[in-house]
Amino acid sequence: MTGPELSVAGLGVNYGGVRAAHDIAFTVAPGEAVGIIGANGAGKTSTLKAIMGLAPRVVRTLRFGEHDLARMPAHQVVRAGIGYVPEGRHVFPGLTVDKNLLLGAYTRKWDAETKGSLEEVFTMFPVLGEMRHRLAGALSGGQQQMLAIGRALMSRPRLMVLDEPSMGLSPKLVGEILLALRRLNEEGLSILLVEQNAKLTFEVTSRCLVMENGEIAMTGTCAALRGDPTVRRVYLGV
Amino acid sequence: MRAFLQTLIGGIGFGAVYALVAMGFSIVYRTMGLVNFAHGSVVMIGAYAASTFSMTVALPFPVAIVIAIVVTGLIGLVIERVLRPLEGRDFDLMLIGTIGFGTVLEALAILIWGATGHAVPSPVGSAPLDVFGVRVRAYSLVVIAVAAGATVLLALFLRRTKLGAAMQAVAMDPQAATAVGVHVGRSNAMAFAIGAGLAALAGGLIGPMLYVSPVMGGSLGIKGFAAAIFGGFGSIPGAIVGGMAFGILDSFAAGTFQGYSELVVFLVFTVAIMILPTGIFGERTVNRA
Amino acid sequence: MRRLALIPLAVAAVLLPYGLDRYAIHVVDVAIVFALLGIGLGLVMGVAGQVNLAQIAFFGIGAYACAILTTRAGLGFWVAAALAVLVAVAVGLVVAIPALRVQSHYLGIVTLGLALAFINWITNTPEAGGSEGISDLPVPPMFGIDLTSEHLFYYLEIVVFAIGLAFALFVVASPLGRRMRAMRDDSLAAGALGADIPLLRVTAFVLSGLYGGLAGVLYAGLIRYVAPETFSVANMFLLLAMVIIGGRQSILGCVAGAVALSLLREVLADFSVYAQLGYGTVVVLMVVFAPTGLAGLPRLLRARLSRHRSGERAELRPFTPDDPAPVQGGGDMLEVRGVSMRFKGLRALEEVSLTVPAGQIRGVVGPNGSGKTTLFNIVSGFYVATAGRVLLEGDDVGGVAPYRLARRGVARTFQNLRLFGDLTVRENLLVALDHTRTAWTWRYVALPHAVVRHDRALRDQAARLLDRYGLTAFADAQPRSLPYGIQRRIEIARAMALSPRLLLLDEPAAGLNGEEVLRLAEMVRSLRASGVTIVIIEHNMGLVMSLCDQVTVLSGGRVIADGLPGEVAVLPEVVEAYLGEPAYLSDDNEDAPEAAR
Repeated sequence: MTGPELSVAGLGVNYGGVRAAHDIAFTVAPGEAVGIIGANGAGKTSTLKAIMGLAPRVVRTLRFGEHDLARMPAHQVVRAGIGYVPEGRHVFPGLTVDKNLLLGAYTRKWDAETKGSLEEVFTMFPVLGEMRHRLAGALSGGQQQMLAIGRALMSRPRLMVLDEPSMGLSPKLVGEILLALRRLNEEGLSILLVEQNAKLTFEVTSRCLVMENGEIAMTGTCAALRGDPTVRRVYLGV
Repeated sequence: MRAFLQTLIGGIGFGAVYALVAMGFSIVYRTMGLVNFAHGSVVMIGAYAASTFSMTVALPFPVAIVIAIVVTGLIGLVIERVLRPLEGRDFDLMLIGTIGFGTVLEALAILIWGATGHAVPSPVGSAPLDVFGVRVRAYSLVVIAVAAGATVLLALFLRRTKLGAAMQAVAMDPQAATAVGVHVGRSNAMAFAIGAGLAALAGGLIGPMLYVSPVMGGSLGIKGFAAAIFGGFGSIPGAIVGGMAFGILDSFAAGTFQGYSELVVFLVFTVAIMILPTGIFGERTVNRA
Repeated sequence: MRRLALIPLAVAAVLLPYGLDRYAIHVVDVAIVFALLGIGLGLVMGVAGQVNLAQIAFFGIGAYACAILTTRAGLGFWVAAALAVLVAVAVGLVVAIPALRVQSHYLGIVTLGLALAFINWITNTPEAGGSEGISDLPVPPMFGIDLTSEHLFYYLEIVVFAIGLAFALFVVASPLGRRMRAMRDDSLAAGALGADIPLLRVTAFVLSGLYGGLAGVLYAGLIRYVAPETFSVANMFLLLAMVIIGGRQSILGCVAGAVALSLLREVLADFSVYAQLGYGTVVVLMVVFAPTGLAGLPRLLRARLSRHRSGERAELRPFTPDDPAPVQGGGDMLEVRGVSMRFKGLRALEEVSLTVPAGQIRGVVGPNGSGKTTLFNIVSGFYVATAGRVLLEGDDVGGVAPYRLARRGVARTFQNLRLFGDLTVRENLLVALDHTRTAWTWRYVALPHAVVRHDRALRDQAARLLDRYGLTAFADAQPRSLPYGIQRRIEIARAMALSPRLLLLDEPAAGLNGEEVLRLAEMVRSLRASGVTIVIIEHNMGLVMSLCDQVTVLSGGRVIADGLPGEVAVLPEVVEAYLGEPAYLSDDNEDAPEAAR
């Protein structure tokens, strides 16, 4: 396979006159892990939502493999092979862990194979298996994050899109999430990771975009960005 | 004691119907944030449709109710489609819009069935049954059983089926539901149809208990809505508890205060809602931040 | 000029009965009663935003009280009438109590339930004559004028109606009406600008009771017979249709809708079902396509037209700095002492302390979810802290309601702009400029001149304020039609209209472009120079670094740093909080369940 898996060009997001993102362009190759970092309000989440069809957008090119996402209604995007982990988890709080995961496989038949995927998720996050009959709303923040990732995996995606998975988690849990993401990537899953936590992003991804005020301020390999003072200026203003 | 039990069972019979009405309100509200004031009129249409098909067309009563459910389900889809631009945005406008729909449905009912209304004979024998010395209307038991059955079916649908789970997911988080592949619009339309279907069932059941008339929807709808709010708007167990509470309150108020029962019921409701503004189980509303 | 237009109207009103036969004048008389009712419903629902489906019951209470007091208690008509209006007002006061606890559709069902309760009562109680009602009410005496003639009764009605209409229009245009409309559009923001919401809600219901009572008394004098079906829920919905079709936010619209539908109802008396079908359908269409009713159509059309016209656009003029004023006192303006906030087990703030000296520009920064806005909500009175104290110039203000804090000099803006959408820019400022208490309202009846004078003074101030913030060109536009950057400016101008000593800005630069951010910084500096202490939450770190005297950094609900901007930004724990270096965050949030969403 050659050519990018996900390619985005000329993507803009406007909420009621506010320009949240403008002229965003990047690609994710098959099996690659790409990060988008930047301070609060830089337009990272808006960019992801626009890709998923969940925010009002203008776009020149938005392709995923053979699919033209620009013409695809939001509920079809998962069928194209993109799993989405939204900012703030957004699990279904009043449903059990089991049900949350099964809903991740909404586009598949709920059969023995799906049950198999369920077991895979439980192997990856044993704590979810222990809590499978609990309501998702009763889980701790970290467990909910695992659940959100598990739910996205249930659709058997080729690309996983994650929005701030570290938000509100302790370093120990952030570490666990980090390991899980790395392993998934090693197994061949492409990853697009949006994070404020630059350190975490550098650990998981090989290449990063830095966003500032709705635009891409710079791009580079993680190794190059790690020591770059500009990244710090983008975050802290000095 | 005997009188008490008789009143109680009569109240539960009415309460079962109120619970069905309240569940209809709640399932629509929690899925799409639409407060349907026309729900009472949908109940009325259901009552007419069921009684017409069973009396005039001479279909068996259960079949007539099923047809009524289909008819009102379609009406529900129309209401939902017209008011969709207001969903989850402006509650006050939606409330007024559905009141407008209620007015239209009432006028249609008068055009079709006339203004006077008619009595509906009970599909089961009208002779009271004697249960451990308590005299009970057989039809009350039928109503309770059917309502309980419908509730169980609804619960099973929501709990056991993929579609039901998806509908609940939409209610809790429409955006996340979209991201896992659920078509939110289709799920909402289905919720609305189910709500209307519950209304028809309620209307069909209450026909033989009351006089079927174009204005019956007013009081039934308001009590069902109040029951839903009292139980916790959007919650299914809340709708059942609220409905039962209203039925029983109604029944005892009618025994104690005679003609003033409605006055008492609504005063009690007003006080209750001021003490517990979000009802017994708390409001379950859509997440549309 | 507008006053002159009233003369032909008045002449027409006087001459009208001469052209009408007995039946026609009866129809007109009934229409006027409904017009009065419509004004009441328009005031409570359209202007104050309180869903009141008991208006028909207020009407009924006025009519029934008058009937009972004349026929059963033997009082004279006018004494009974005065008492009946008082009773209706009192009932309005009582019905307002649920409105203090519940709103929107909840309030709708409660008021509708109370209306049903009223109908239930009059159909059952022997004093009210049961379903037959009460007939043979006395003819209202009027200096020998025979009011059994409906032609003559018309003149009585038209006088009452004219006074009622004038008073309603006066109230809507006055500071009180503006506050009510502000409450309708956004009760939270109205509270933050000094409007005491509970009292305003009660006032709205009292007004609706007053108009309901007046209509009821006139109806009793006109028909001299009252029966339950006049006050049915069906008629409540008809009244609602009148107000919606006419335009609930405009009193004249309500009157037009009421008159039009009353007349139409008579014309279609033989086809009442079709009439019902018709107005039901029109209500549905109105709600979806023209929620502001007939009265709002011109504006809707104008908006549609102007969208097609691109051409010249009004310019935002630069901000004119105020005269510098030294900071008074010089002590601490705000002190937050050990404040914690919990929501259902989720710890939003943990032992937060900070002190803002008078005259400072303080920045509050931190990653998403670090508790910044929660802190603002506590300082401005929206939340009551779970623990800790908030001191404003040394006084403990924990648990003080937002409108009281506003009067004590605390103003704020909101992260997601909370402008009053249906008010003009000028009115947005006027709401904030009015520092009177709602209890001042008695003057509306006793001293309307004082109100007019007060309003004129406010308008002068508003004009100066608009000019200073460069907003004069947009004064009569609705905020939501304006570009985002201008809306941000309006919100700051509105907060400053309170003449605050402490100004809280929640992400004022969000959504602004580079040029606008620079102008914002200038404006904030100038506000400080005029003696205002400013606390600012902001994500744009460039702005924070250049603007703030001191910066407090929150992370995970705790203060992790506090100091000069340049010093704070290089502290390792701040870099960690932002960029995510490991091992700083503690482990203790681990197993707290998430707040139920």
